[in-house]
Amino acid sequence: MNILDYFFDPIFRGPTIGTMLMCLSAALVGAIVLLRRQSLVGEALSHSTYPGVVLGAALAGVLFGESVSNTTMSIFILTGAAIFAFLGWCGIQFLERSLHIRSDAALCLILSLFFGIGVTFASDVQFAYSSLYMQIQMYLFGQAATMTDFHIALYSLLSLLVITIVVVFQRELELVTFDRQYAKTIGVRTFLVEAWITLLLILAIVIGIRSVGIVLMSAMLIAPAAAARQLATSFRSLLTLTALVAVLSAFLGNYLSIEIPALLDAGSLSLPTGPMIVLVATVLCLFALLFSPGRGVVLRLVRRLRFRHRCLCENILKTLWKLGARETHTKAEILQYQSLSKWHLTLILRQLQWEGWLSLSKGNIQLTHAGEQRGGHIVRLHRLWELYLVTCAGAGIERVHRNAEEMEHILTPEIEAELTRLLHNPQKDPHRQPIPPQELL
Amino acid sequence: MKHPLSVSQLTVNYDNTPSLWDISFEAPQGLIGLIGPNGAGKSTLIKATMGLVEPLSGKILFFGKPLAEVYQRIAYVPQRESVDWDYPITVRDVVMMGRYGHLGLLKWPRQADEEAVDHMLELVGMTPYTHRQISQLSGGQQQRVFLARALVQEADLYLMDEPFIGIDHATETFLINLLRTLAAKGKTVFVVHHDLNAVEKIFDWVVLLNVRLVAAGPTQEVFTADNLRAAYGTSYSLLDEAFKIALQKQHGV
Repeated sequence: MNILDYFFDPIFRGPTIGTMLMCLSAALVGAIVLLRRQSLVGEALSHSTYPGVVLGAALAGVLFGESVSNTTMSIFILTGAAIFAFLGWCGIQFLERSLHIRSDAALCLILSLFFGIGVTFASDVQFAYSSLYMQIQMYLFGQAATMTDFHIALYSLLSLLVITIVVVFQRELELVTFDRQYAKTIGVRTFLVEAWITLLLILAIVIGIRSVGIVLMSAMLIAPAAAARQLATSFRSLLTLTALVAVLSAFLGNYLSIEIPALLDAGSLSLPTGPMIVLVATVLCLFALLFSPGRGVVLRLVRRLRFRHRCLCENILKTLWKLGARETHTKAEILQYQSLSKWHLTLILRQLQWEGWLSLSKGNIQLTHAGEQRGGHIVRLHRLWELYLVTCAGAGIERVHRNAEEMEHILTPEIEAELTRLLHNPQKDPHRQPIPPQELL
Repeated sequence: MKHPLSVSQLTVNYDNTPSLWDISFEAPQGLIGLIGPNGAGKSTLIKATMGLVEPLSGKILFFGKPLAEVYQRIAYVPQRESVDWDYPITVRDVVMMGRYGHLGLLKWPRQADEEAVDHMLELVGMTPYTHRQISQLSGGQQQRVFLARALVQEADLYLMDEPFIGIDHATETFLINLLRTLAAKGKTVFVVHHDLNAVEKIFDWVVLLNVRLVAAGPTQEVFTADNLRAAYGTSYSLLDEAFKIALQKQHGV
């Protein structure tokens, strides 16, 4: 199917545009909730909406009979959901403030209490109005695929409201989430801002449960923001990235839920849109956690391995320098001082030759002029640091070598200059070994 | 002239903060140290004056007026540990927070705000770090950012909570000079401080505190062996303990 069809086809535009708007507003609110370390509040409140959904549907059924229109039904259900989410929030506040229950326990209690009430109501409705029960179930697990133009209109309005509030109050939101006490002292009405945040959260949840469902709603709040958090360096970039990830997940969720069955040519296979969106968002989040340039696990591992490799290279240059910088040596000599496999040593020697630090001919290894300088420099840093530890930090002579083995690869030219100045350009290290002078290097 | 800060009969007894009992003093303009041992209630006093902790009783006036009328003339520098330094925000944005009271419609910064921020960043020597995320800063740099944020408020009275903790030597020297300059320009600066060594060199006036007020006045008069023994001795430790038990009884714990 053509990508544009997702946005213009009368059947597909409802789910696609509807979920994109819904994800956008949920994720923006989620970003604020994440910064406030209240991720679980979203989970508790989304479950709290369940009795509201059931009662709203039942009330609409009682008032208008079985032939109630979709629009009326949606409005009743959304209102009920919002009221009960608010009640859930009041419950959490009561438990935390008045009964002094820890936050995690309070959230857990409210989540199960409200959800339990909802399930009880629902089982009653199931027998009294079985067609209504179908409607209720839709909100539990979400049913994006049946959304229509009416939903687009409704969600556009609600999402626009959420986005406007976040954009207009971004400075207050930033202040309150970063430094609440300071915010108070410069005249921010923190109570009001926090009330707005709660209102936004309830609004975002109510918007979201129709497409991804009560059970998966909290993932929609948190996943895009958690992904963006890995890359963002400012509050504004966090909001922008969160919005991008959210819209992308919503579109890809819709796209994949239709394209994968088509690709596999399996008519019976159907992928529900809501869970698909949650999966995409979670995968994006996981991807960001693993691969983001600054904090990503994978790149940190790569940097660690590269550092270890550099240490090894420098240690070999250092060994050659100590063995006699101007003479030729063999692999066996190096292996006496450095513990690594012969194969690994050969590999590293090739690299060092390639980089111009040494020359290899028939198993004879000799440092080049540059290699001699670099080897000497490492020894210099090692011995300077040892001397510093003994004279300035009061460490025992026998204990400084191990630390210097590490620091010789780390010390920057600035620290080296400072050490030289502090120790009055020393000639000998604590073990009476000469420190290679700087001029020669 | 109205005193920059006058506190009368202030009593605080609050769940997790050290308590204060019947504190009264009138501080003149200048560089003022708030000195006392750990748990003496120094930070509590600052927070009570800024309305962040609700006192049981007592009256606090800035320049002869209650805080609500003059809060724009007062800048607060919280302890560094009070915020999450991993928060996604740049150095510049943190400092811009101090301009909140000056910002225009919808709180968009105007040219004057941008220039004030750049100027203060330069003053505290943080210009090269302007667009860095705050998680990359050292302790001293974090303190400089907090100072810049307070300075752009263009206040007349500054309250600084333990600014000397965990900073490098260069920042310490810089901070002392900055405090002196502010005082010389007619500002009043309160500094919570727990290290006794440098007190006489830095401060003109001292409030010596341990749950109750031990002494307040010019540094030479207050910094006597007797006063220090009273503040740092054990005789006051019972006071706080008894207050906390009283609080528990009132709550029926």
